[in-house]
Order: sequence, then structure tokens, then C-alpha cells
Amino acid sequence: MLMPAPDKTTLSRRDDICAALKAMLPAGCVIDDDATMRAYDADGLSAYRQMPLVVVLPETTQQVADVLRWCRDNDVKVVPRGAGTSLSGGALPLADGVLLGLGKFNQITDIDFENRCVVTQPGVTNLGITHAVQDEGFYYAPDPSSQIACSIGGNIAENSGGVHCLKYGLTTNNVLGIEMVTMDGDILRLGGKHLDAGNLDVLGVMTGSEGLLGVVTEVTVRILRKPATQRAILVGFDTAQEAGQAVSNVIAAGIIPAGMEMMDNPAINAAEDFVQAGYPRDAAALLIVELDGPEVEVDYLLDRVGEVMQRSGSSSLRVSQSEIERNQFWAGRKSAFPAVGRISPDYLCMDGTIPRKALPEMLTRMSAMSQKFGLRVANVFHAGDGNLHPLILFDANVEGELQRAEEFGAEILRNCVDLGGVLTGEHGVGVEKRDLMGEMFTEEDMKQQQRVKCAFDPGHLLNPGKVFPLLHRCAELGRLHVHHGALPHPELPRF
Amino acid sequence: MTFLPEAHEALEEFMRQAVADKTSLHIVGTGTKEKLGDMVTADASLSLAHLSGIVDYQPEELIMVAKPGTRLDEITVALAEKKQMLAFEPANLSFLYGAEHAGSVGGIIAANLSGPRRISAGAARDYLLGFTAVSGRGTSFTSGSRVMKNVTGYDLSKLICGSMGTLAVMSELTLKVLPRPETSTTLSVKCAALAPAQKALSAAFKSATEPSGGAITRASSGALSLGDEPAAAHVRLEGVAQSVADRTSTLCDVLAEFGRVSVLEQDASEALWQDIRDIRILDEAAEQVWKLSVTPSHVSEVITAITAQTVIRFFCDWAGGLIILSGAGEGLHQIVRSAVEAHGGGHASLLRAPDTMRGAIASFHPQPTALAGLHDRIRQSFDPLHLLNPGKMGSVSRDA
Repeated sequence: MLMPAPDKTTLSRRDDICAALKAMLPAGCVIDDDATMRAYDADGLSAYRQMPLVVVLPETTQQVADVLRWCRDNDVKVVPRGAGTSLSGGALPLADGVLLGLGKFNQITDIDFENRCVVTQPGVTNLGITHAVQDEGFYYAPDPSSQIACSIGGNIAENSGGVHCLKYGLTTNNVLGIEMVTMDGDILRLGGKHLDAGNLDVLGVMTGSEGLLGVVTEVTVRILRKPATQRAILVGFDTAQEAGQAVSNVIAAGIIPAGMEMMDNPAINAAEDFVQAGYPRDAAALLIVELDGPEVEVDYLLDRVGEVMQRSGSSSLRVSQSEIERNQFWAGRKSAFPAVGRISPDYLCMDGTIPRKALPEMLTRMSAMSQKFGLRVANVFHAGDGNLHPLILFDANVEGELQRAEEFGAEILRNCVDLGGVLTGEHGVGVEKRDLMGEMFTEEDMKQQQRVKCAFDPGHLLNPGKVFPLLHRCAELGRLHVHHGALPHPELPRF
Repeated sequence: MTFLPEAHEALEEFMRQAVADKTSLHIVGTGTKEKLGDMVTADASLSLAHLSGIVDYQPEELIMVAKPGTRLDEITVALAEKKQMLAFEPANLSFLYGAEHAGSVGGIIAANLSGPRRISAGAARDYLLGFTAVSGRGTSFTSGSRVMKNVTGYDLSKLICGSMGTLAVMSELTLKVLPRPETSTTLSVKCAALAPAQKALSAAFKSATEPSGGAITRASSGALSLGDEPAAAHVRLEGVAQSVADRTSTLCDVLAEFGRVSVLEQDASEALWQDIRDIRILDEAAEQVWKLSVTPSHVSEVITAITAQTVIRFFCDWAGGLIILSGAGEGLHQIVRSAVEAHGGGHASLLRAPDTMRGAIASFHPQPTALAGLHDRIRQSFDPLHLLNPGKMGSVSRDA
């Protein structure tokens, strides 16, 4: 993974930069010793590590604005960081960049049941919001698997998903407003407790912008009333193809379950070895379908989903009879990653999305790829929305296996695009999928996206080297009639 | 002269020429909402009425791909055949604008117009999964995808939605569609005033009954006046029959403390929400019609602040968070906007006014300087020569 070459002038100015930051921030907000900075050298994509130039942990929005404006004026790059759980390297530091941590923004500022929303600082964890409102029977719907640790600010940056997106949407569908700071140091308030933008939807483009457009300093999210009943149904199939078809059949029947997950045989057995969830070990694929709502509705839909499953050729079917049993059904799914971690020294988790109907075809291709690369793969899918999480098993200590695993992963994502899908459903592009962007977008598609970036940050100082494989200068992007095909600026950094 | 492209290639060619000639364009879908937004002065007209048709509809994938000029009626019928819908409940504003039909899907997306289900299912912007367009540089680009869950690259769908044709001209849209609810019911409760009606809605939305609409009408709202009652709160429940029946019973108990509850069954319920969605319950002859997005619990304060200064008719949707009001007078925009700003924040957009007034009043709520500057730069990133619907969303500061 090639990152932009660190700017030597910035590196040589490090002492001055640290001194200037210390002068504008309270004591303890600037970390410049190697031992403490080490904690920030990677995010959830830990295969990549880089020590930052310096770490700052501001305490107020004004301090964030001061830091950003100073960095802009002094041509210093900035990498924002929430809880550092990104699986795509979105918060990977730069050697010549200030790492701006939002960890001290850890307070919920307003819980408003009348308007069913919560106003919070961005460093609060996703689950922290639910914890703050659950006594009144409410919750925050998006539930990425890292929800115990990931911050809501990071969720905005990545447009995080989770198991229940099919019915309740991603982060973007659940955020009402933010306060953000631009690289210019301007503090903007977008949205709030009211709905819609009333002009250009800047909040919408900020969500999922991976820390490239601005730094979020406050978040307003909507909260939902917890459903009266939640029940799950566990369905085994003799072939993965039948299971894939069953997923489409449920949707075609007009049913939108709260969640619809799929595991293949290697994932089933890894999970079963790990937590004894009672999964059918001989099934080629397993579906977990969750339904929620009033009890009569859940009962009715369980029957209908059961019929669809039987018609689709299910080999086993169990409906949760208690909350304990429902949690047991989920325990295997939720521990799938650590369970796979036990059967392989290392694994890579991929994150493409395909049209639901392509699931059977994708599974066939996956087996062929597994053979081709000589590496095992365990599949865990958010099947309801076509979001795949293939886990590629490898051993980093075996010469060449990491590289082969990465090639396998890239081929999976290329196949996702080939089948009409996308490179990433919820983990983000970051550095991990940056060089694959051209598989999905044309040069012109990416240029228009980067022009939007230029509207926010013309100096490319905020989180450069992420998302886009080629860093165009804004002046070049702004020019009209760019010549097709030719590369007019061979001096531009390509990585 | 109006150019009416029938295919993407013709649109791109036309746009390329317009950019080369620096020809500014007045862009419309089928022209049913032309009076929404500020007045546009342009060198030429571009209509997408012939760039029309459903390109791909996959009910089991919950997606529909359509060209922007496709009539909303055509889309609604195609979806209904498969028991599906556009869940954001697009409004038919033909009553407001004197149009013959509900307009085009491109127009609805460009204006980000959502109906009563906005409160539970989200806005138009939540259902645009991807699009292809030609920018004000005369170049084609695509953003988003045809799948539900996608975070690859910036979400330009959100920017396009609600941009009133000022960023790019869409040639194809991919929409997320959802199953239609099997049945619906509305519970109405008569209240002494606006404030308790809003409280009734709040209680309904706080309950576990999953309302999909929450509106307040008043005797003075117009055709839907309910006797002499100062305000009536309406809550819609949708879903499978057993579930709706069960929730209706629970919600009756929740609402009973606010007044006498009556139940509207399916047909009456649908008629009520259609009228609310299409803004049919205001005075047809009103000089000005405004749309205010406010914090639901502040609705009463906002209305009080306005009615202290002028006479209006109004109704509320989105659990109290949307006020549609009609009134008159050159100072109305200041009264309305300062009331919103002083009571919880939000925005007020002008939906309809005589042309003489539209020239003088900003249709979209003025933004703080830093945000307005960012909006300008975003527009320039798509349309550096300001050729696309110039002035539609307010004046853009031109580059030197």
C-alpha cells in the first residue's frame, strides 16, 4: 500500500508544529512522545501501521477550529480519528500529518424523547446512545458489529451499517444533524431536530465521506422505540444456492425482515465450535431471519417466512421460543469473526455488496476463487441487503500468503462489481479499497467526486491518500474541457 | 425554443455545446413545479419530458431504474402492480401549481419532495440509490449504485436530491422501492388547541405502535375542517391487518387522555393522507404558501409567534415538524423566518407566490455566510459557469 510521500519540510518543522499546537491547546491535549503516540499508529485495519507526526486531542469545537485553521494556514495535513475501529484504514495516520482525535468529545448533551432524538458529542460510542435511552424503551438503530467501541462521529464518517440496515437503514438514514468544522476552521451547523436540509444536503454528503470533507463535532440522531417483540428463525439448507434463492423469495413475498443473515458451512462449523449455538453442522448454508414489531405481527410473519423457506427447500427450521434462544441464535453469527480467528492464524474480512439475486452465482464463483488461490474462505453475509463479508483464511507467517489473500480479496470485489454490486457496503474505501475504485467508477466519476472535495478542502490537507487512487490538484480539476485519455500531469502523485 | 432530448447521448451532446457556447439553461422535468424555487433567467430551455421510461424494475431487488422524465403516475402504477411503492410518498402538487398531473420522477427527486411517511420511512433523498447525469461541464458521470447498501465514494445522490437542477442534469435514476402496506387506519383525536394536539402526536410517536404519519388539521385549515374544534391530531398506522388492528387498540388507549378518539378505516384514511400529502386542504386562492420544517415540540411557539403578527391558515404534518401555511403580505417571509429561527431553528421555504413577489423573496431559507459560501463552491464544482437553472436556489456569487 503506497501512501503519499511525506513532505520533508513538514517533517523538519515538527518541533515548531508541536510547539504551536501546545500553545493553542490546554495542557495534555498534545501528544508528541513516541510511546504514547504508538497507541494511535493504526485503526481496525491493523495490517497497516504508521506513526503520526503528532497527536492532538482537543476538548472543544473552537479548539478543533483553531487546530484546523492553523494547519491550513501552515500547510499541514490532518487525519481525523474517532475510536479508531475503521476496518478500511480510514484513520491510518500520515507521517507528516497531525492526528486529530475526538476522544475527549465523550458527552451526550441532550436526550429529547418528545422529539425522539439525541444530541451527542462525536466521541460517544454507538452503543452508548442506546444505553442512554433504553430505560425509556428507545434505541439507536444502526448497529455495526463494533458498536460497543466505535464512536458515533466515526459512524458518520463511514456511514456505518449493521445487521438491521435492511429495515432501519444505514447511519445516513438516522442522522438528523451535525455540527462540523471545515479545514478553513469554519464551524457549520447542518440540520438539527427538524427534518431535511432546506437547501443543498451537505449533511448527506458529509455522511460517509471518510473524514475527507470536515470534522464532526456534534451529532443529532433519531432514536426509535424498541419493538415490542423480536423473534428469530434459524433455517438450514443443503445448498448455498437454495439459501440465496430463499433470501430473494422472502423479499419477493413483500416481507422486509429486521435482519436476514447467511453463513456458509465453514462459518457455521467455526461458530458452532466456538459458542455451541445449536447450528446444523451439516447444512451447506444457514439463514438467520429476525422479525420485530407487535407480537401478532411477528407471529404472522414468522408463519409466512416459514412457508417461504419450506417452499425454497429448507432442510431444517427452528423458531426462537424465548429471548434466551433468540440470543443463542445470534451468538454464533455475532462471534463468527473471532470463531474464524480460532481456526486460522489470520483472516481478511472483505465487504462487497451484490444484488440479492446474484448470491447463488457469487457463492459458486467464491468456491472457484478459493480453489484458484489455494486459500479457504468462510462466508458471513448480511444477505437481506446483499452485503457480503467473506473471511479469507491465511497464515501471515507463510511466505506469500498475505499477498495471495489480498489478491483473492481484490478478485472478490471485482466480482461484486461485475455482478452489478459495489466495492464496499459498510466498511468504507479508506486505504484498503482505494486502488480498486477504478473498477467501479470511471475517471470522470472520480473527478467529480474529487471536485466536491475541493469545495471543502482545496489544499487536500484533510485525510489525503484515502478513498481516491489519484490525487488531482484542485486547479486541474477545476479546469474545463479536460482532455480524455491523456494524462496531462505526469507529476501528480499516483498511489 | 425548448430542447427535448430523448436519450442520454443527445442530452450530453446538447450540454457539451451549451458549455462551449456558455448558454445558460432553464431545466425542467415535465414542468409541473416550475414555480417552485426562485425565478430562473436563462438563454435556453431544456425539458426532460421525452427522456422518459422505466428502464429496469426488479421487485425482488427492491429497485427501479427510470429516466427522469418518467411520469410519477406511470411509476406508481407499475409499482402498484407488484404491490410496491415509493415509500417517501411523493406529493402531487398539481393542486398548488395548477398542473395537470403529478409531474416527473426527476422533478420529485430534484425537489426532494416527501410526503407524510417522511417521518417514519425517510425522505426522497433516502431512496435515491444512484444516478447518471451530465454536469455543467458537459461531462457525464455516475454516482451510487443499484444496491441497497453502498458506501463507495461520496454519496452524491444526497447532493443531487433537492438541488433543483442546479448541479447536473440527471439522465437516469435508481430508486429503492418497498412493499406497500397491506392496510392502513387513522386515529383522530380532537383537541382544544394546537399544543395539546402536538402532545398527542408526540405520545403516539413515543408509543410502540409505529405510526407512519402524524398530522394536525384545524378548523381553519380549509376543506378538512373538523367542526368547531380548534385542532385535530391524526395518527396513521400501516401494515399487515392483524398488526394494524392490534396497534389501533393500543393507540386508542394512548390517545384517549387527549380527547375523543375516532377511527378512519382504510378508504377514508387514505383520502385524508392524500389530501395532506398534496396540500389540498389549504385555501386555493391563497397569495402565498409556505413550508416550514421545525422541531416538532416547538410547533406551537412558532405558530403563536406568526399569528401574533399576521393571519394565516395552516396544517401540520411530520408529527408537528412540518407546517404548511398560507397567508399574504410583503412582510410574511420575514415573520415566518424569524419565528422559525427564534423557536428551535429549522427552515422556511416558499412554495407558491405571485411572480411579482417571487422575484423579491428568496424561496429557500437564507444560509449563514460560511455555509452559503460552501454551497456556492459545491455548485461551482459541478457547474463552474453557472449554466444550470441559474438563480433557482438563490443568487450565486460569480467568480471573477
